[in-house]
Amino acid sequence: MPCVEVVGANWEMESQEHADADGLVLLFEMHRAELLRFLTVRCGSAEEAEDVVQDMWIKVSGLATGPITNGRAYLFRMANNLVLDRARGRRRSMKRERAWIEAEGGGVAEPPEDRKDPGEPADEVIAREQEAQVLRDAIADLPEGAQRALRLYRFEGLGQREIADVMGISRSGVEKHLALAMKKLRQALADCGMFDTAASQGHGGQSGRKPRMEQGQ
Amino acid sequence: MNRHDDQILAEAARWHLASEDDAMDWDAFTLWLEADPRHSAAYDEIALSDDLLQQHSSVLEDVGTEAEVEQTRPVAAPATGDTSVEGAEIVRPAFGRRLRWAGMAIAATLAAVLVVPQFISPAPEVYQTAAGTQKIALDDGSTIILAPRSSLTVEGRDQDHMALSGGALFDIRHDPDRPLTITAGRLQISDIGTRFDIQAQDERVRVAVTEGKVEVSSETLSAPVHLAAGKGLLYDAAAGTASVAAVRTQDVGDWQNGRLSYDDAPLALVVADLRRYAGVKVDMPDALRDRRFSGTLVIGDGDAALRDLAQVMGLRLGGSAGAWRLEQPAS
Repeated sequence: MPCVEVVGANWEMESQEHADADGLVLLFEMHRAELLRFLTVRCGSAEEAEDVVQDMWIKVSGLATGPITNGRAYLFRMANNLVLDRARGRRRSMKRERAWIEAEGGGVAEPPEDRKDPGEPADEVIAREQEAQVLRDAIADLPEGAQRALRLYRFEGLGQREIADVMGISRSGVEKHLALAMKKLRQALADCGMFDTAASQGHGGQSGRKPRMEQGQ
Repeated sequence: MNRHDDQILAEAARWHLASEDDAMDWDAFTLWLEADPRHSAAYDEIALSDDLLQQHSSVLEDVGTEAEVEQTRPVAAPATGDTSVEGAEIVRPAFGRRLRWAGMAIAATLAAVLVVPQFISPAPEVYQTAAGTQKIALDDGSTIILAPRSSLTVEGRDQDHMALSGGALFDIRHDPDRPLTITAGRLQISDIGTRFDIQAQDERVRVAVTEGKVEVSSETLSAPVHLAAGKGLLYDAAAGTASVAAVRTQDVGDWQNGRLSYDDAPLALVVADLRRYAGVKVDMPDALRDRRFSGTLVIGDGDAALRDLAQVMGLRLGGSAGAWRLEQPAS
């Protein structure tokens, strides 16, 4: 385990001003096995999980952090976010690829009614407008309570407890509203093909598409 | 979409909502993901949808407050009340969500208890020491003395999961209904109702038991090791070794009294202890790291303890205060 050796060396040689980063590195090593287990199931591949662990190692050892109140949760959240970054990058490159295929006269991925300007090349701007429109419609279609909770949560930055106070309902009521809203948004995006390629990704579906396309960060 | 998928997505949405919380139960989330390969994909889709929503939030904020909603929803009677409140809320500064979450202690009464119990356990308590020690009292009457330059995280509803970096002396009440687990390096020490000391530094973990017994397990150990009173375990992940030996119980935890006692301990370990307990930093060539030391160091004066160590080991102490170096004397 070469990494382990590096950690040992690090601890001995690092000067005191990096005590916090040192602490995080130790914490990372302490929870490495749990993080790897989490990442393996989260990524659906042991290989990708190892990649993310490596990314984390680089981040953690180079990080000048302030005091962290809950290091373990911090590390798990970091792991989760890194996986999400990858999924996001994957979706983006898939979208570009699909746009390219369509421009070449290939199949149309979205249902026609979602395509605002079928004549125009599907460039980034249009794709983004489309996404915004899908989301706008989906939000407008939400039941009253879910819509209000979502607005307070995402547009006004309130926490769930604050939303409970504002709306005069329980915490669990807020959670129910928000979960419904998230589900409906996901449904609307899925209906217009947002996750089509992404969905087959994890199971090694599409020809020639490598799950990991992004480079570096 | 069948009902089962719908159920999965609902759970995924709840996990996603919980994940922003400091009190997120990541272990339970891992178990949920492992329960069904579709869970991770569902979670991705929910999280990516929310991500898109946040990316587009600036152009979406008007949705639901404008006339279009009045048209599509003529029966939106409470909307008037809504808009006035929302209007007022908009003035609020948009301070960072994470920051506020961090300070929140969450009541463990989230919904979905029936669907996936334990989304959230109480916020973990983190104890960290500088040059001094800290006594920690648990709710059940157990006590822990945390060594200098060490940290201990206490998690779980019953304060039954801990993680240690550094040293600590545990005096734990036995409760068969509340098996306690302490993670130290790559070891899990559990099944506890006893008095014992743990020192976790780098890849080395030492466990010494003075009363009762503990079980030590690790994915790197072929089988759990049971330690009874008077036994100690020295585990070294880097070297891939774990050895059990007798310990003098009166020496266990003696760091509280300013004394560190060793029996055939590698020099690297002694030097790491000196750094933790006496705040002295010492370098040494790799060749010396595995030299063995037996004896007791008095750590009231770190530099003096180091000189004692060098003398007993027949080594030369080079460098100066703050940057000592142990060397093989030129022969």
